[in-house]
Amino acid sequence: MLSVNAFSLSSNGKPLIQNLSFDIADGHVLSIMGPSGIGKSSLLNFLSGTLAPSFTASGEAFLNGDALHTKPTEMRKVGLLQQMPLLFPHMSIIENLLFALPDKTRKPDRLPLAHDALKRLGMTDKANALPKELSGGQQARVALLRTLLSQPHYLLLDEPFSKLDPALRRDVRAFVLAEIRQANIPALLVTHDSEDAKAMEGECLELE
Amino acid sequence: MPLKHIQWITGFITVLLALPIVIGLVGTLLPAFHYFPPLGEYDFSLSPWRNVFSQGEFYAGLKLTLITGIGAPVLALWLALSLLAWGYQRPFFKKIEALLSPILAIPHAAIAIGLLFLLSPSGWIVRLLSPWLTGFERPPNWITVQDPYGISLIFALIIKEMPYLLFVMLAAMKSIQARESMQACQALGYSRFTLWRKVLIPQLYPIIRLPIFIVVAFSLTVVDLALVIGPNTPSTLAVTLFRWFNDPDLAMRYTASAGAIFLMITIFLVLGGWELAHKVFSAMTRCERSNGKRHGVSDILLGTGVILGAFTLLSAFIALILLPFWSLAKRWRFPDALPSQWTWDNIERATPLLMELSANTLIIALFSTLIACAISLLMLEIKRHSMTNSANPSQQHAFDWLIYVPILLPQIGFLFGLHVLLIYLNLNGDLCAIIALHLMYVLPYVYLTLKGPYLAYDENYLLQANRLNNRPWRHYVSVKIAMLKPVLFTAFAMGFSVSIAQYLPTLIAGEGRYSTLTTEAVAQAASGDRKQVGSMALLQAFFPVMVFWLAQIIPSRWTAWRLTIKKWLKKASTKKDKTCSA
Repeated sequence: MLSVNAFSLSSNGKPLIQNLSFDIADGHVLSIMGPSGIGKSSLLNFLSGTLAPSFTASGEAFLNGDALHTKPTEMRKVGLLQQMPLLFPHMSIIENLLFALPDKTRKPDRLPLAHDALKRLGMTDKANALPKELSGGQQARVALLRTLLSQPHYLLLDEPFSKLDPALRRDVRAFVLAEIRQANIPALLVTHDSEDAKAMEGECLELE
Repeated sequence: MPLKHIQWITGFITVLLALPIVIGLVGTLLPAFHYFPPLGEYDFSLSPWRNVFSQGEFYAGLKLTLITGIGAPVLALWLALSLLAWGYQRPFFKKIEALLSPILAIPHAAIAIGLLFLLSPSGWIVRLLSPWLTGFERPPNWITVQDPYGISLIFALIIKEMPYLLFVMLAAMKSIQARESMQACQALGYSRFTLWRKVLIPQLYPIIRLPIFIVVAFSLTVVDLALVIGPNTPSTLAVTLFRWFNDPDLAMRYTASAGAIFLMITIFLVLGGWELAHKVFSAMTRCERSNGKRHGVSDILLGTGVILGAFTLLSAFIALILLPFWSLAKRWRFPDALPSQWTWDNIERATPLLMELSANTLIIALFSTLIACAISLLMLEIKRHSMTNSANPSQQHAFDWLIYVPILLPQIGFLFGLHVLLIYLNLNGDLCAIIALHLMYVLPYVYLTLKGPYLAYDENYLLQANRLNNRPWRHYVSVKIAMLKPVLFTAFAMGFSVSIAQYLPTLIAGEGRYSTLTTEAVAQAASGDRKQVGSMALLQAFFPVMVFWLAQIIPSRWTAWRLTIKKWLKKASTKKDKTCSA
């Protein structure tokens, strides 16, 4: 369960978000909607611990009762998915997936785990392909699985579908939701497309 | 880079950049006033200045320096602008663009030696025309290279500087939206050259001002080119000073120091005059720009520039092509256009020497460039850090101007001052000292090549990598550096070619104990064994071109090669497993 308590945000003294609180249960997606510049992405940055110095934020965040907002980014175990898939262009798909596996994974398990992920993507033939050889939808899916392979404790989605073709979006949305349910972690989606929010089959908060 | 103690590192690098320059300048300034403890002189006096101003050589040298140092940049700028105005966005010009970086990479001494082979009285042009046109059976008594007016030196400088200016201008074209302006003006009926003069060149000039200043400073102070192809007795001021510094009579050092200070003042005056001239010129032409005339006299000026520019590029190429001819010639009597007998003997005979020179050259270039790459990355990471954490990201960092100082100051002005420090440190004649002095000149070029792409890098890749798996140092190398491979290789090639071209730093720090291809080629260029000099110049040109070529080839294929090798290794290991189990 991811809980946010009394979150307020201001930029250079101008208040953007005031007193926002919510809970997200494991395996569920909360969608946050609102116009650009309202501080949606900054909320994600607050939760991932990378808020730009020009913003000031107050409030608390807890994951299963542990305080998140006092921890540095690298201790938070956060997964973040953005508009850009950010697959490393100089690594093959399988290497991108292997990259995300935690250190503690036993060596003989690593390759099978990555191949499992490829199978779930239906891209077993693309193991040695480079990211630029994949379509936008395929890249988005690989990026999601790469994030999940790193075994994050909660997931933040920053408009991950906005760069995709409308026809592809439906498939990718369904894939994302299924994977989040399987991983059973709380996820927060920020978007300005109400279709995204509807497809996640969860609560939706509108910021104004 | 997960850096800590950024302020300490910033301070340390700033001192590292500034210290040699300050020491070098002080080491020249004090002897210029007759204060020189190593020779037991503790009394200030103006006698060095009186000496300088009483030397006839000084005035003759100054005159030549001003002619070549102002003439060459003006002409190079004219030709470069003409070529650009004529060819920008034309398919044929794209081919010339591709040839620019090899020309830039070739050390200027090699080009000068090639020019010597081309233009001298016994050179290729006269040979081609003899005896059928000229009637010469032996080389004429003309003075074509090393002429007393410095014309051949100006020509050599243009060949070096015009491609550089073209290169810089092409990079600047994107930021002024040249294509759109050209289309708009052509739709209004302006001729190509007129629209360039009225619209594009005025926008372009402020962006390329600094590179132009570098070119002017270089032309006023160059030593190696002037030694090979410049006038002698009298020679340019920089060469005269170089001779005075090396005079067996140590007292000449004071005079030379005063002259070096004077040369530095001259640079500032010339640059000031250049800016003033530009101000006056643009004020004069301001009204004329909007007079609505679609054609003008300047069309002819730029048109002539195109022809001369093309001719200059062509002679640079022929000069380079002539280098291997000489190293492979056995018998090449005067009026013959080609050697009558060819041989590998010259090269074979020179092999031990060439090997030694190449080894020295490559070791110095490799180490100074690798160190320069490391320092540049550190400096850029600090700059990126200060940009993301400051309220005003476009603010200039101290590094941004400090890095230009070594390339704007004349080498002759502070290298001899620095030499005194090397003697104190007992590092004179040491390989480390040569590498350190090269580093001073390699670093600016590596830093400036890396700067744009490094700061434009999308940091989100690195952040994502560390979110997936927090290993900041490792990911800095395996993600950020790996993604920046193409520009890192280019920057390396740039630094490498700068190091190979260095003459004075090698000579002064090495005290002649370590010769490189450049120092040896310059030393022997005048003496005459063309076959040996040709081989040296050829190698001098070969290494940078090869490194540039590799820097183009390797990064784009790196990942494909890496994955192929990985596949082979996997195949090999599975095969082994099978044979084991069988």
